[in-house]
Amino acid sequence: MNPPDKAWQRLVTAARRAPADAPASVPYGFATRVAAQALTQPAPAGLSLERLAIRALGVACLAAVLGVAANYSVFTNGSAEEEAFFTTDDPAAIVLDVS
Amino acid sequence: MPDDEAFDLAGCLARVRAQDQTAARDLVGHLYPFVIRIVRSHLPRRVAEEDLAQDIFLKMFTRLDQYQGNVPFTHWVSRIAVTTCIDQLRAQKRRPEFRWADLAENEAEMLDHVLADENASAPDDALAARELVNKLLAQLNPEDQLVLRLLDLEQKTIREISALTGWNGALVKVRAFRARRKLHKLFTALQRKERS
Repeated sequence: MNPPDKAWQRLVTAARRAPADAPASVPYGFATRVAAQALTQPAPAGLSLERLAIRALGVACLAAVLGVAANYSVFTNGSAEEEAFFTTDDPAAIVLDVS
Repeated sequence: MPDDEAFDLAGCLARVRAQDQTAARDLVGHLYPFVIRIVRSHLPRRVAEEDLAQDIFLKMFTRLDQYQGNVPFTHWVSRIAVTTCIDQLRAQKRRPEFRWADLAENEAEMLDHVLADENASAPDDALAARELVNKLLAQLNPEDQLVLRLLDLEQKTIREISALTGWNGALVKVRAFRARRKLHKLFTALQRKERS
């Protein structure tokens, strides 16, 4: 018995000797059909989705930046207001009237 | 490989990019024999080879803007063709178990010959050998089929296969190793079954 690897090698060696197929000529009308279809077809759906996703990402980034800009004062003054709230409106301080 | 010297490929591509339908037709005519050879070598069952060639050309035109000219145009097209063939193979139904009874008489004789005779030279019936190789490879998954076809039948180098498939060299070697192991199992099973 031939070991399997050797059997495969002998088989492909024999297969390589098979004559190559006759060169293929373009079927009648094939080139015209393909060219017409290629130059008239709309962009594939995948491509449109990719573009849409990139635009959506841009819009999302812009919205995030605008959101931060619109609320910038809250970030900068927020801690001072919170402090004032806790010192002036502290329920325990009001009840005990320690201020 | 198509004869790019006689054909003004650069000029043709420029005209195709400018939506010139005649140039697109010329390009298809120029590349058709090259593309159909790839299709036939990877799809031995010849399932609607013209449809597959059409898919390859349409992909080529769709992606033409992505072609930067870093590699020869035919290499770029062959990569599209090979990946389209792999997709087609994936879409095909998995074959039933391989049996001696499925083989034609000359193919069964060929299989007998390569399995049994240790010292004889390679058998003579090349066409039967090719058919048998196709049937054996059809038992493997598309990537395994592809790598063994390119390595063993077309005798391409690892680098050439990398360029064609986009797999790196290590991946090509690993896939070839796994594919050979599966083929080894297939041969062993056939030897065990013998010819009924």
